[in-house]
Order: sequence, then structure tokens, then C-alpha cells
Amino acid sequence: MAYPYRHEREVRILSEHFGDPAARTLAGWRERGGYRALAKALEMGPAAVIDEVKASGLRGRGGAGFPTGVKWSFMPKDSGKPHYLLINADESEPGAFKDRELCRWTPHQVIEGALIGAHAIGAGHVYIYMRGEFFEPAQIVARAIEEAYAANLAGKDILGSGVNIDVTLHLGAGAYICGEETALMNSLEGRRGQPRIKPPFPAAAGAFGMPTTINNVETVSTVPHIIVNGGEWYRSFGTEKSPGTKLFNMSGHLVRRGNFELPLGFNLKELIYDVCGGIPNGRSLKAVIPGGSSVPILHADEIDIAMDYESVAKAGSMLGTASVIVMDDSTNIVKQVRRMVEFYAHESCGQCTPCREGTEWVARILRRIEAGGGTEADLDTLLDLCRNMTGTTICVLSDSAAAPVLSSIRKFKDEYLRLIRGGKSAPEPVVAA
Amino acid sequence: MAEKKNPGWAGETGEFEALTEADVRGTAYVGQRPRDGGHPGASCSFPYQLADRDPDAPLFEGDYRARFEKIVSRYPNRRAALLPVLAMTQEVRGELSAASMDRVAELLELSPAYVRGVATFYTMYNKRPVGRYLIQVCTNVACNLCGADDVVRAFLEALDTEPGEIAEDGRFTVIEAECLGACGFPTAVQVNERYFENVTPGDVPAILDRLRREDAARSNGAGRGSAQEGEG
Repeated sequence: MAYPYRHEREVRILSEHFGDPAARTLAGWRERGGYRALAKALEMGPAAVIDEVKASGLRGRGGAGFPTGVKWSFMPKDSGKPHYLLINADESEPGAFKDRELCRWTPHQVIEGALIGAHAIGAGHVYIYMRGEFFEPAQIVARAIEEAYAANLAGKDILGSGVNIDVTLHLGAGAYICGEETALMNSLEGRRGQPRIKPPFPAAAGAFGMPTTINNVETVSTVPHIIVNGGEWYRSFGTEKSPGTKLFNMSGHLVRRGNFELPLGFNLKELIYDVCGGIPNGRSLKAVIPGGSSVPILHADEIDIAMDYESVAKAGSMLGTASVIVMDDSTNIVKQVRRMVEFYAHESCGQCTPCREGTEWVARILRRIEAGGGTEADLDTLLDLCRNMTGTTICVLSDSAAAPVLSSIRKFKDEYLRLIRGGKSAPEPVVAA
Repeated sequence: MAEKKNPGWAGETGEFEALTEADVRGTAYVGQRPRDGGHPGASCSFPYQLADRDPDAPLFEGDYRARFEKIVSRYPNRRAALLPVLAMTQEVRGELSAASMDRVAELLELSPAYVRGVATFYTMYNKRPVGRYLIQVCTNVACNLCGADDVVRAFLEALDTEPGEIAEDGRFTVIEAECLGACGFPTAVQVNERYFENVTPGDVPAILDRLRREDAARSNGAGRGSAQEGEG
């Protein structure tokens, strides 16, 4: 099936059936090997499932990269309380568009992985928290949930195993911050989506005060493949510390945009120039954001790096969700940074002063600079503000807003100065989408 | 709609030539979701921005009442049903008026102030009326790099309107949106329950014409629900 722009270097584990509508149905999914992993996991039992996922080295795909099996092992064994598994499908980091693809093309892959995860942590209820805008994927996942219940893959006594797991789809209502795990729990509980102070950590007191684990859609989608093929097999892809494949979300000024599944550790330069066909319209590369809008910007001469958690961190940025936003030499960096900061100002939940006030102040100063009314002292003010927004709040939204400002002033100071001193910034791009 | 360039189909179009729009959107698989919510685990899946709405509809009767009960049954307490129930309220009435929020508070045994405090936190709840087709153009970084500002301008100029205003006698409202999570297919535009992708300013007239046709068909008695134009 023709998912746009498949590339010969891709290793398609999660995305093998993207673009194939027959893979959505339960019958179609089973024909493609679906739900064998669930049956196997139910036989293995929770401890063996956790061990296998630990052995795979799978790291959470929501951005932080925490080892999934270790996270699962934090859940209490005999708490006597209800346990919950929350699937984070609140994908809203600018640049990220992988979970939507997983949900709308392979809903049963997501549900099967969620059921295995729930079994592993002793959860009797899975909530799939999907961002409210994703109506189309939500209806597809809803249909798949109904099919799963009808086939005794969810609900009571799943496949005769005696295991009971309910699955409920829950839609958000437009708030980026609800992708933060404790804000997600508050939102699920019918509260404002404001992050909670940790500790207590979710495994001790999470949703509804009960032991809870939150996993990203891409993370749980990977689990069935690990259960069927083994942790060692999964380790044959990627690097020692960042095993496996990852959906790379490629956007911006590229000949080919879209999701490409590649082993972790794939070279960023090759990703841009080989897999995605390079920069269109005869332009050259100016900057790359390697992991979604909340990570530091890389300069064009910093991209010869491996895309794994450690290497990107060593280069001064973060792999995050591997959402790569590519900017050509026509890009007005100040404008794009301003646009990102306005996003964080809009999405700040308002609990912490450095974030609530800082994001708005930074946005105002950037607007002033962009309009030609800035001063060189503004740059010092921005740096001071951003330093005070880093590490001073309950969650990292504030840090995320500061990251592109700090990194762009460090790496593209000449663009700021050109605007401040009255020169013209680089022209706006003229790109046909 | 042009053959090769299909807003609303994910991906660089032309690559999806073998698929129908219903295949891509999933409507062929989903069919028409039952208004009573279907299975309780799937009862929160409905779009809450639809062209069909009735500001005076009761909260809730018939199928909607059945769905309300299913939603409440999925959580350990009634408060947790607040977001889905606010969503269903907007689905039915088109917006969340103060009276609607008070009614939701009553149904879920919460205080009216609490419900308003939650409702105002989230952007998708319309605290004031919007057009029957709410056109949300993503202007965040990935779409912005690829000309999203021009797409916004094209919608506003074609409708001779301003952001957030109601145009064409209640039919359209155009706003800028934060990232819609379709960054690989810029510019992403959400119209009520649907995404249109790879939208350029040149696509805007065709999208508006399609919506006008759907609106006319709807007002001729197509009935409630996410009426999809039957293509493919």
C-alpha cells in the first residue's frame, strides 16, 4: 500500500500498515498477525511481560525517553487498589504528528499494546486520552474498541484468561499542557489541566489517587512486536542505549515530509538529505529543530549527528519526540521563535508565575524586535527572563518556551541584531506546500 | 475538487490514488456512529463541533440521555465525566452558554462556578457562538514555515470577514489555531470534525464551495450527524 513517500532505508515495524485501510479492521489486523501478542502476554503473566520489555530496552516515546519496563516495574504489586493505565494520545507538540497516524491507521495496534501494558501493571482500566481535535482518529479508535469488546479482547475474562481490562476513550478539549502526565490525570478527572507537584509520583498516587502509569501511543504500539519477537530482536535495531526504531516526524522545508520509521541513531543529515530529499526550491539549510518545538535549535552546521537520545543531548539539544522541523535560508528565525513562544504563552496553565508572566513578556519583546522597535538591551532582558523561566516551575512548559529563545539568540544573534539595527531580516519563504 | 490535490487526504496527495476519501478518513470503517454512544467505552468519541445544532435542545433526552448514562458509568466519580459531558453539550447546542454550563453542573452534582472554571480552561469549548462551520487554520511553526499565514488570509478575504467573526449569515467562522498535529501535511485546516491537509491559498475557494454545498444539503433535511459528502 502506498503511504506517501516510503523510503528504502526505512525499517517499518510500527508503520508497516500505514496507508492500508484494510489493516484498521479487527479481521484485517488479525490477518496481519494482530492480537497474537496479547494472547502470548496473557499466558506469560505480568512479571515475564515486564522482563521482556525491560530486556528490549524500549524507552518511552513521549519525549522523556524513560525505560518503559522500568516504569512498569514501579507499580505496586499487591496494593489492593484499582490500577490505571493512561495512554497519552494528547499529541500537540508543534512538529509531532506520529500518534495521530498510529491511531488512525493502526487502532488495534494501539489497543493491543495498551491491553498488554495494562496486564503487566495490573490495571483493570485503560483510558486513552486523545486530544479533542482528533475527531477522525477518535472515531476510528472507538470503532476498534467496540470490535475488541465484541471479540472478547477487552472487558471481562479476556480470551478466557480470567483477566479483566476495560478500555475507555476520553477526549481532551484543547490544551497542550494536558500532554504533561500529571496535567493529563487532572484533566481526566474533570479538572483544569494543571500539572501536579511530584512526588507523589503517578505509580504511588496517580489518576483518582490510585497507582497509575502513563504511556505514549507510540510506546505501547511497540510492545506487541516486542512480545511476539522478543526483547533481543528489538535490540537488533538502534543503538546500545537507544534501541529500536522510531517514527521520525519530518516537517518544514523538505522535499518529502511525513513520518519515516528508522532505527534510532540514524544520522540527521542523511535523514534530511537522503530520506527526505533535501531542501526544496534550490534553497539551503539554515536551522533544524530535532525534537519538537520545545527543544533547542540546531544550526545547519550542527546536524551531522546520530538521532538517539544520547547523541542529540550531547549536541546540546534533545531527541524529544523526534519531530524534526527543518528551516531553509529564507526563514525569519525571530518570527518563528516568536510564533513558538506565543504558542507557549497561549498554552501556559497559569499556575506558576515565571511561566504565566514570562512567556507573555518574552512574546511581547520578540514582537517588538520583529517589528523593528527592539534594542540591544532587549536581548539581555530576554536571556535574563529565559534563565528565570528554566527550572523554576512545576512542569517544563516554561523551560520549553525558553529553549528556542536561548538557543536562537546564541546561534542566530546576527538575525536579531539585524532587525534591531534597522536592517532587513531574511525574506519570508515562498514555498508551495 | 481537483483530482491530484485533495485537501483532507493526509500525505502528499497523488500517493493515495488507490484510496477513496472514506478510506483515508476512516469513515468507510467507522460508518455512522450510533447517537446513543454505542459501546460505553467508545461513547466519548463524538465530534463536538458540528454544523447541525440546536441552542434550545434539552440536556439530555432520548439517545443523548442514554449516552450521558454510559459516559458517567465509565469513571469512578461523576466529576470525571465533566469534559465528555461538556463536549456532548456543545455537540448538541453548538456552544456552551452559561445556562448550559449550569445544567451540566446540576447533572454532575458540581457547583456552577466549578464547571465554568473548568470550561474556560479549554479552548475547544465555545463560550460564544461561532459559525456552523468553524474553520481553524494552524499557524504554528511547521505550517507557518510553509505559508500558513497566506492560507489564513485567503480564507478571510474569500469570506470578507475578520478572525472570530461570523460570516455568510451564520455559516462560517475563521480562526487561527495552535498546532493541529498534522505538521507533515501543511497547511493543516480543521473544519468542525474534519481535517483538510496540504491546503494552499489556491485550495480555499474549492473548500468553501464544498462546505456551502454540504450546508445546503444539510438544511434540506440531511439530518444530524457528521454528514460527509459521499465521495469515492
